[in-house]
Amino acid sequence: MTAAALPLNRSGKILEILPSPLKINLMELGFLPGKYITLHHQAPSGGPMAFQMEETLLALRKSEAELIRVELI
Amino acid sequence: MSETLLSKQIQSSRVAIIGNPNVGKSTIFNYLTGLNQKIGNYPGVTVDKKTGLINLKGENFEILDLPGTYSLFPNSEDEIIAHRVLNHTKIEARPDYVLMVIDSSQLSRGLFLATQLIDLGVNLAIILNMSDLAEKRKIEIKSYELFKALGVPILSTDARNQKGLDQVKSLISEKNFSKGSQTVDIKQVIPVEILEKVKAKFELENAYQAYQMIRFGAKDVAMPEEDRLWLGQLFQTMNFSLEEAQLEETKLRYKKITDIVTQAVTKKEAAKPKSSIDSVVLHPFWGYLIFAGILLVIFQTIFTWASYPMDLIDGLFAELTGYINDLLPAGPLTSLISEGVIPGIGGVVIFIPQIALLFGFLAILEDTGYMSRVVFLMDRWMRPFGLHGKSIVPLVSGIACAIPGVMAARNISNWKEKMITIMVTPLMSCSARLPVYIILIGLTVPDELIFGFINMQALALLGLYLLGVLGVLFTSLVMKFILKTKENSFLMTELPPYRLPRWGDVGITMFEKAKTFVFEAGKVILAISIILWVLATYGPPSRMEEVRLQGEARLENVTDESEIAAIEAETSSLLLENSFIGIMGRAIEPVIKPLGYDWKIGIALITSFAAREVFISTIATIYSIGGDVEDELTIREKLSQQINSNTGKPTFDVPTSFSLMVFYVFAMQCMSTLAVVKRETKSWKWPLIQTAYMSILAYVMAFITFQIFS
Repeated sequence: MTAAALPLNRSGKILEILPSPLKINLMELGFLPGKYITLHHQAPSGGPMAFQMEETLLALRKSEAELIRVELI
Repeated sequence: MSETLLSKQIQSSRVAIIGNPNVGKSTIFNYLTGLNQKIGNYPGVTVDKKTGLINLKGENFEILDLPGTYSLFPNSEDEIIAHRVLNHTKIEARPDYVLMVIDSSQLSRGLFLATQLIDLGVNLAIILNMSDLAEKRKIEIKSYELFKALGVPILSTDARNQKGLDQVKSLISEKNFSKGSQTVDIKQVIPVEILEKVKAKFELENAYQAYQMIRFGAKDVAMPEEDRLWLGQLFQTMNFSLEEAQLEETKLRYKKITDIVTQAVTKKEAAKPKSSIDSVVLHPFWGYLIFAGILLVIFQTIFTWASYPMDLIDGLFAELTGYINDLLPAGPLTSLISEGVIPGIGGVVIFIPQIALLFGFLAILEDTGYMSRVVFLMDRWMRPFGLHGKSIVPLVSGIACAIPGVMAARNISNWKEKMITIMVTPLMSCSARLPVYIILIGLTVPDELIFGFINMQALALLGLYLLGVLGVLFTSLVMKFILKTKENSFLMTELPPYRLPRWGDVGITMFEKAKTFVFEAGKVILAISIILWVLATYGPPSRMEEVRLQGEARLENVTDESEIAAIEAETSSLLLENSFIGIMGRAIEPVIKPLGYDWKIGIALITSFAAREVFISTIATIYSIGGDVEDELTIREKLSQQINSNTGKPTFDVPTSFSLMVFYVFAMQCMSTLAVVKRETKSWKWPLIQTAYMSILAYVMAFITFQIFS
């Protein structure tokens, strides 16, 4: 599954970042395989999602979250 | 002693401050330089260059505040600056020392940039800031381990609470910076021979500099054309992907960082729990309600708080005019001072309370971390219009002034979204329109309550702001279908932890913005006021002389004082009509008549093309010249007495006033904004398109309004 499919308040372990021109930007922000993310907030009507990763709360669009393959934990 | 050595000694050392966004860089910069700051521009791009001077133990240091960036891989114009300053082809243009600020609670992300800086070979020192936050989060950083791993001096501060800042000063004065030990060997990802070629060509010091040049030099508009071509040709001979190399570098770097962090950090708590504030602020329903509420409070506050100092300033300048007229002998000079210069300066000064307050509020929203929450909430609703969530910052800033709004659009990395934002931001009703609105609303809308609590004047004002917003959405939508781009649009933004605003920094922002406005826009407004006075006082000599002689002839046989006054007023009004400006106003009257305007308003439209706020000072000048200078009626009272010479009705009745307000909602009417748009888009094409579309929109909407209300 991808991070975009994470249920609210659930966590996932990042397995890989799917190939895309945005891959480098995601990695630069710290989205790396092995890290844990938790979906904390979801803007209405398919809007952005806010993931907690360690100390940081990061906002991604749904399409961006779809680039992060995770394993539900 | 040789001359070059001498100049080197006199020249101060340059220290650049760099760091991720929201790590407290500006607080440290403000602490070091205080109000001794200079804001300029980088050549080629328009990102503000903030520099400041400090003197430590008799030696001068020039401090440079670089825009926040996560890495030396530039994504936006803001981020390319750091790359360009540090990798400048001229070694003497690079900073001597680099001070990097890291958020202690987000060490690994900070280290990404820090290790890149080390590999670049700069003289570096690291400040671990926000130690209070890290402590609260039970994160403990062993500075000595970090120092061992990186090989550069490390300090720990809590800039918000003024802790440890003395150490920063002594670090700078002792020049306690050093080149660290290489963290990632770039030769692992890029063939050595290519790196060597580039290193030799640009006289670079190490392989990582060469890599940066290969990666970004060809895209950098500030590079000489031939160098870019040379790099372009080099790419064609290479048979590997630079993107792949960059991904590989990122992986290697994070591997190294993980090693360092494991050594240097003890963490007693896992992931940060969900913030209860965010549960409300980012709530799908309450979040939007809170945003609307905050905007409402801001406007209400501006409206009530700013009106006291503004009334005071208004009255003060009216009194000053009377005082000058009593004090100085009558003549052209006195007239220039009392009717040109003083109203001109008054027209600038009266904006200070509003501008300072609005920028103060924006600074607070930014500083508390709320602004990025707004981006999160609004992205979904901006995108259908071809805008980005980040467009909300320029648009909200546009309520204060389009100039900082247009400049804030730099943060948007996608070209199309950035262009649309720049093009529509001036449609947000800025504070320069506010005086026009306030005076015209004051003349036509009763100061009464409806439903017992809603002030009708406030409601009318809200309506004008909403009209501007509708204009923004409509125009964005149209442009969305016209502009084309292949670039990706992405959000990816950090929502920083909530913090109390740093009042000192908010104060500095308010002061700096008000100062910039007074000296930048003020120059234009004052110059126009003087030109206006000249145009209104002089005209074709033969015609002016004729009017003057006729007036004198009529006065000869009259003894009754009130009759003399009436004839004198009539003569001065005739003089104005025959002055250069009267001729210009009459010339455009046929065009503006369908909007309900007479030639006097026509004059104000012409002069306020440079800046909207000139409308009021022009109107003030026109009517004080036409009337009796002795009685110091304030602007509003003067206006309500005016009669339209075409219709015989009051000039500022409901249809004309409403039509004028709607005209000002949409019209461009601001040379400073046009200059900024030209700077941001690097061509005259966009400001010209902007002026054209906004003028047409303004004319059509004003015409419709006038027809509806008359």
